[in-house]
This record gives sequence, C-alpha cells and structure tokens, in this order.
Amino acid sequence: MTDPAVKVDRLEKTLQTNKVLRGISFEAAAGEIFGLLGPNGAGKTTTLRVICTLLAPDAGSVGVLGHDTRMAPQEVRRRVGVVTAEFGVYPRLTARENIAYFAELSGVMDGELNRKVDAVIERLDMSSFARQRAESLSSGQKQKVAIARAIVHDPPVLMFDEPTSNLDVLASREIREFMVESKGRGKCVIFSTHVLHDAERLCDRITIIHQGRVVANGKTEEVRGKYRDLEDAFLSLVEAAT
Amino acid sequence: MSSVGIVFRKEIREILRDRRTLIAIALAVLATPTVLFVISQVSTRTATQTYTVGYSGDIPAGLDVLFGATGLRLERVDDPAAAAKRQVDIGIVFTPAGIDEYYDPTRQSAQIADIRVQTILAKYDAAKIAASLQQKGVDPSILNPLPVNVHPLSSPVKAAGNSFLSFFLPYILITMSLTGGLSAALDTSAGERERRTLESLLLTPAPRSHVLVGKILAVSVISLTAALAAIASMLVALSQIQFGGREGSAFPVDLSPLAAIVMIWLAVLLAASFSSVTIALGTLARNFRQGQAYATPLYFITIFPASIVLFIPDFNPSLAYYLIPILNAVLVLRDAIVHSAVAWSSLIVTSASLLLLGALCFYAALRLFTREALLIRS
Repeated sequence: MTDPAVKVDRLEKTLQTNKVLRGISFEAAAGEIFGLLGPNGAGKTTTLRVICTLLAPDAGSVGVLGHDTRMAPQEVRRRVGVVTAEFGVYPRLTARENIAYFAELSGVMDGELNRKVDAVIERLDMSSFARQRAESLSSGQKQKVAIARAIVHDPPVLMFDEPTSNLDVLASREIREFMVESKGRGKCVIFSTHVLHDAERLCDRITIIHQGRVVANGKTEEVRGKYRDLEDAFLSLVEAAT
Repeated sequence: MSSVGIVFRKEIREILRDRRTLIAIALAVLATPTVLFVISQVSTRTATQTYTVGYSGDIPAGLDVLFGATGLRLERVDDPAAAAKRQVDIGIVFTPAGIDEYYDPTRQSAQIADIRVQTILAKYDAAKIAASLQQKGVDPSILNPLPVNVHPLSSPVKAAGNSFLSFFLPYILITMSLTGGLSAALDTSAGERERRTLESLLLTPAPRSHVLVGKILAVSVISLTAALAAIASMLVALSQIQFGGREGSAFPVDLSPLAAIVMIWLAVLLAASFSSVTIALGTLARNFRQGQAYATPLYFITIFPASIVLFIPDFNPSLAYYLIPILNAVLVLRDAIVHSAVAWSSLIVTSASLLLLGALCFYAALRLFTREALLIRS
C-alpha cells in the first residue's frame, strides 16, 4: 500500500466513564473504499469522530494526509468530508444556500464559489430542487444536500457513517454509486456500516471492530476467508472476541 | 469574507426568514403604542366623566353651580346613604348644621367623586370666609399668614413626562434587548443541535470562536433592532396620544441628544451581553424548548432592576451600585433622561461592568461550544 491517506495508530478514547476505543489501529489509502465494520456500540462512530477532529484522542494518534489531528485540526478538517445518517440541514435556507454556506466555511474562495456549488449540484443531480427551501425537501433530497456540503470543497478523504440507514432503496443505491465514483476519482473513502452486504460489495479492505478493539483487518476477501460470506465471518469473529 | 462574516450573514438570513422572530419584533413594536392608547383612553374617560351626587336637604346658594362646573351631577334622592351604595357615586345630606357625606371607598368612581366634592367644598368654604371677613372690614389674607410663591425651575409638565420616560424607557430597552433576540439565540444554539446541523458545522475548518462571534453578532443586531424599534414606537405614540383628554395634557417626550446617545450605547452593550448569555444557555440545551426553560429565569433577573426606578424613584446610589449589571444601565439612563446629564464616572463604571459581563458570557459560551460533551450529549 502507498502512503496511507488516513493512519490510525493505537487509538484510545473514553467517553464519560465508558472506554469506547481500546487501541484501534488501521490505515486507509487513496483510491480505495475502506470498510469500518462492527456491531452497534463497537466504536465506529467514535473512531470517525476522532479522525475528523470532533473528538480528541486520549492516547494514540490519527494522521490525515500527514497532518496530526491534535497538532493541526484545521488542516485535517480542510481535507475531510463527512456524511452521516443524520442529514440535518438548515430548513430556512435553500438547498443551494446550505451547500454554499459550508463551501465558504471550508475555505472555497468567492471567485470559485458559484462554480464549485453549481458543479456539485450538477454532479448529484440536484438542479430540480436546488432553489427550494430545505424544509420542503424529501429525505433523499436532504441526504443529497448533506453529501453535497461534505464534498463541495473537494476533500481527498470522504467518510460515510451509516449513510443509508435512514434512506429508501433508491436513495441508498445512489449513495453506494457515489462512493464507487469517488473511489474512481482517487478519493480515500471510509465507509462505516453494519450492513455487511454493502460492505462486501463495495469495500476493498475492511477492519472489524468489536468492544473498542480490532478483531480483523485486511482485504475483504481475506477477512471473509473460508466462510460463505462476510456475515458469517463477521459473526464468527465477533463471537470469538466476546 | 471571514468566517465571522459568513456565519453572521447566514444567521441574519435565517432569522429574517423565521416567523417567530419577526412576529416577536412586530408585537414589540405594536404592544407599547397599544398599551399607551388604552391608558390614554382610560385617563381621558376618567378626566371627563361626570359623576352623580345623590343628595337631600337644601343646597347652599351657589354650591350647585360649582358642582356642575366640576363634573358632578346633582340628583335628589330620599336616602343618600343608601343610594351611595349603588344608585349614585356619592351621597350628601345637606343640613343646617353642615354636610354629611356617604361614599363607598371600594368603588373607584366614589373615590374620584369624593375628591371632587372635597375640592369644591374647600373652595366654597374659603370663598364664604373671605366674603364674611371683607364684610367685617378684615383683610382676608389674614387667613394665609405665610403665603408661598412656587417657582419651578423647569416645566412641571416636562418633568412629569421625563419621570414617565425614566421608568418606561429603561424597562422597554432591557426587556426588548433580552426578548427581541431570544428566539434567534435559541434557534442558533439549541436549534443547531435539535436539527442535527451542529456536527457538520463544527467539522468545517472555521475556528469555533469565529462561528460563535458570528452568531452573537447576528443575535445582537436583532436584539438591538427590536429594542430600538420598540422605543421608537413608544416615543412616536407618546408624542401623538393625548393623556387626560383636555388640551395641554399630552406628555412632552423630547429625548435629549445626550439621553439618545447614552441609550443607544447601553442598548449595544446590553444586546451583546444578553446575546452571549442566551446563546450560552441555548448551547447547554438539547432543544429549543429546553433552551426556553433555561432562559426563563432571565426575565425575572432583568425585570427587577428595570423596575427599581418605579419603586424607589429617588434612589441615589453610590458609585459601587453602578457595578451591578442591568441596574447600572437603568440608573444611567434615568439620569440622562431626568437630569439631561450623566456623570462620566457612572457611565465608565457601567460600561466596564457590562463589557465584563459580555466578555464572561462570551467566554462561557465559547467553553461550552468547544466541549466534547456538547457532541456526546447530542
């Protein structure tokens, strides 16, 4: 593997009294979809929140394209786009205004603001509702706004945290297609999910975490190993680690 | 554009599209003139209303004319004491020995009628005594051995107007500085959590202090606008509405330039401080409703100092009192309105106190805004 876009090294994190991460390590590279798998409460979201600097690590380190999350959090944020299942948008702003707001805060300059916002609207096929207030949009349309605002500054690292959990079949498929397209553009895509079927189809490499520890790490087919599918492998690994 | 400007512009745009805030400002602008109009109608009615005097016996010559001229209508009744309970406003029995008056102090109309009757009778007595003395060749001025000549140094009518303003203006300024931007403050803090936009906002490279300053500036502008609009509408209403019904009874409400400047300066400080406080409270809250619950005690905290001029009109505190936020603003504004003068020391201490309050509240809001617990609780 070439130099990792994201490097997580022996990461530990306690939230209130709950030790959520107990020495997580993995690396994700540009041009791949990296799966972060685990049951609910395994520590997937906390790991992503540490990577994108929302939380500070208690021990260990996280580097994004060579920038340490502790030392240079703003540099990390410039290089990361995050899409979560909770696609909160500003209801009284239009879809376009929502995207432009985050573009400006992410450092997109005035001269290229309109071009970049228009480009992302076109890329995600949002033209038909771009000038509607967000309060009138459907869930799928709001999720597109959330994706657009996360990628409008063209970050090299994209993180998806259970992005399809609140979406219907069609909208979920569009998200998956977008991840594949982003990988093709050379982005490092980190995909956190407990939908193992999606992970098996999309991910080049995966890490399975359980109770804050890594229980498997490697190429998807290697982790699946002798089992019929990833779900069987996952259940076996988690059971063994419990 | 800096992050502060980007956040400010977005917040203003959202606030201006928020019906709650716009309705709150519109109500604030309309409420004061409406209340003043109702007061003027009541006072006009009270001043011009004729009250009924039920009487028996023979009215002394000339007294009936005085009654008629003072808005008291005479009506002969069999039993004035019984009639005064309901049928008429006041009952009087004229006897050769004097007058018996009957009225019910629990009825406001009876109280007003009583005051008018007492005034008339005092004047009637004085006139009769003066006439008797003159008949006997005695100078009536003997009854007034120490005549007093009053020389007001300023217009008593204007002083009454200033006194009225010195209570209402700080009261409206303070309450509107708080409530005018409250909805916007909670929307921009607790609302971010409630609609799940906070995490995305904190993921941007914009420094959190800049985001917070942008929000506080936007809410401050709304608070300031609401406060000044409410005061402007009050001043316009006071200049247009007649109180008491008779000519010359309108309040003179000319705000001196000094008072206007002091008022605007204090409004800026109060709006900034209140915005920081309410955003800090909103940041603590999980949603808009919880934010409202947290902010409710602020109403009481602010209204008490604002009311002190009403309860203690001649309150002349030492300089140390000007360290107390909100109370100091009320006192400085009172001095500027009533005396058209402000002591520099008071103004400086007041400004320093309010600036310190704003800085502390900003620091608290920033600490809350940068805590990991903010996200964990979300």
